[in-house]
Amino acid sequence: MSDATLEVRDLHKSYDEGRIEALRGVDLKIAAGEYVVITGQSGSGKSTLLHLLGGLDRPTSGEVRFRDARLCTATDLDSYRAESVGFVFQAFHLLPTLRAIENVQVPMLALNHPRADRAARARALLEEMDMGHRAEQYPNQLSAGERQRVAVARALANDPEILLADEPTGNLDSVNSAHIMEILIGLQRRRGMSLIVVTHEQEIARAAPRLIRMRDGKVEA
Amino acid sequence: MASPLSFTGFVWKNLKRRRLRSLLTLCGIGMAIGAFVGLVGFSHAFEQGWQSIYSSSGIDIAVIQQTFLNTSVDEAAGAKLKALPVVAQATPMIYNLMDLTPEVNALVYGWKADSFEFQSLKVLSGRRFQDGQAEVMLGDLLAEDLKKQVGDTMEIQGTPFKVVGIYHGGSGLEAGAVIMPLDQLQQLSSMQGKVSTYHVRLRPTPRGMSAEAYRKEAQAEIEAALPGLRAMPATERANNNQFVRMAQGSAWGTSLIALLIGILGIANTMAMSVFERTREIGVLRSLGWKRRQVLVLIELEAGLLGLGGGLLGIVLGWCALHVLAILPQTASIASSSFPWALAVEALGLAVLAGLAAGALPAWRGAKLAPVEALRHV
Ligand SMILES: Nc1ncnc2c1ncn2[C@@H]1O[C@H](COP(=O)(O)OP(=O)(O)OP(=O)(O)O)[C@@H](O)[C@H]1O
Ligand SMILES: [Mg+2]
Repeated sequence: MSDATLEVRDLHKSYDEGRIEALRGVDLKIAAGEYVVITGQSGSGKSTLLHLLGGLDRPTSGEVRFRDARLCTATDLDSYRAESVGFVFQAFHLLPTLRAIENVQVPMLALNHPRADRAARARALLEEMDMGHRAEQYPNQLSAGERQRVAVARALANDPEILLADEPTGNLDSVNSAHIMEILIGLQRRRGMSLIVVTHEQEIARAAPRLIRMRDGKVEA
Repeated sequence: MASPLSFTGFVWKNLKRRRLRSLLTLCGIGMAIGAFVGLVGFSHAFEQGWQSIYSSSGIDIAVIQQTFLNTSVDEAAGAKLKALPVVAQATPMIYNLMDLTPEVNALVYGWKADSFEFQSLKVLSGRRFQDGQAEVMLGDLLAEDLKKQVGDTMEIQGTPFKVVGIYHGGSGLEAGAVIMPLDQLQQLSSMQGKVSTYHVRLRPTPRGMSAEAYRKEAQAEIEAALPGLRAMPATERANNNQFVRMAQGSAWGTSLIALLIGILGIANTMAMSVFERTREIGVLRSLGWKRRQVLVLIELEAGLLGLGGGLLGIVLGWCALHVLAILPQTASIASSSFPWALAVEALGLAVLAGLAAGALPAWRGAKLAPVEALRHV
């Protein structure tokens, strides 16, 4: 028994039939409610690690354990993503045909949330992100910082335990960056979520309670 | 305040995003379904016309030649038929499709002057023709079309005939037809001694026997007495008639080709839409959507295109049938009542077409690996 929410053991991931080794043996434990920042050079395998932690892909070898159970089958990964993980991307990835409030409901469709709850819950999440007044807007009517706040609300839609953010401030100016990080850290504290942020920004890295540096597909000691 | 986002709402928004493309796809499948409703509906009306000819003149059985190539029956069969105890009446007839003028072609029947089939006709003016005379009777619709009255003469395949009567028939087919003495039509179509079919009325069904069983027995009796000939229930004969079969064959053939093109249109639209939305599909998967849900999403979009196309097609088909019911060339055949059963069938067909067309794109979309899809630029 381990007290870690997430644990990876000897994780390897290679592409192109082994010619590219993105991860070369990563071991890592992340506790419930912990805030972790991952940095490292471009190409060092940060996104690859985050995708494996979030169940978006499967390792070439090694294992990812969530609450002490190994994620192996595709159905494991589907429900793990739907129920336990929230993703925030650098490029926001909002769906352009849907209003902000509808975007927030998209993950709820993956689970059978009662229909009547969805809109109310989405609105509450947008309000928590200070975006209640923009709920009916389409993504192209929002500023970059606003889009990312909608994306964070969407990541929270199914009340996950783990929040994964791959360079969430990469497309934002410094004021918006600070705001988004404040929101994410606030969520981690208030809700007791594990928060894993991949970033290039030194400021974020310096302020992190736990910093993981990656180099050539490994965690630097 | 926005209502909750539903699966179908999402589908609808995706289709609305590419409005022009969705509309064009809709038109493609709509035309196909319209052709289906129009053509098959028309051939149904044609078949019904035949059926009502049989039912209005009280024909139980039609005796025909069994082989495909030889479609005529020897006149000698008549006497043998009449001698059978189950047969009340048997009357010979010939029918043929003939050009009356360069624009008008019509069904031409050859009957005997004493045929019981006259009972279902109402003579509006003039009289019945006499056997052996170059005389014809015209259906009221045809007479109007040709602008002929009793006393006029008309030429049919080079032979002059005198119009002796105008009648109104029980079915639209009869209203647009010519009836002449059997012997005259035999000469015109070089069928001396031959007829197309014998129409038989049976004696009343004996007590304690079902009409169905009695008819079967009568069929067997007739076929035993006349080797090589076939006794067909009149109702079956109506849809087995060579003209009806030809009409049905070309209706189905043409609409299937149109449908195939419509299906390809939807398939193309959906394939493009899946390709363009590769990254969005990755996003959906990253948010926890299962493969199956992505598949259902795309299939619903395709199915909805099919459904919309089907509805459009029914409207188009309805218009086409109305036009056919008005045009003089086809008015005698097309019925103005709309074939609702066919419309329902067409709608089902359209939805199925949509689902079939969406299947491959949906499968490809569902198969995408989430990470690869997200990386797609
Ligand atoms: N699908 C793929 N096919 C081939 N190579 C890949 C694939 N995905 C990642 N790689 C390679 O794996 C290595 C690690 O990539 P990854 O995206 O994890 O880096 P990263 O640390 O996130 O970089 P960055 O800071 O630029 O985002 C890189 O060398 C990359 O080229
Ligand atoms: Mg990266």
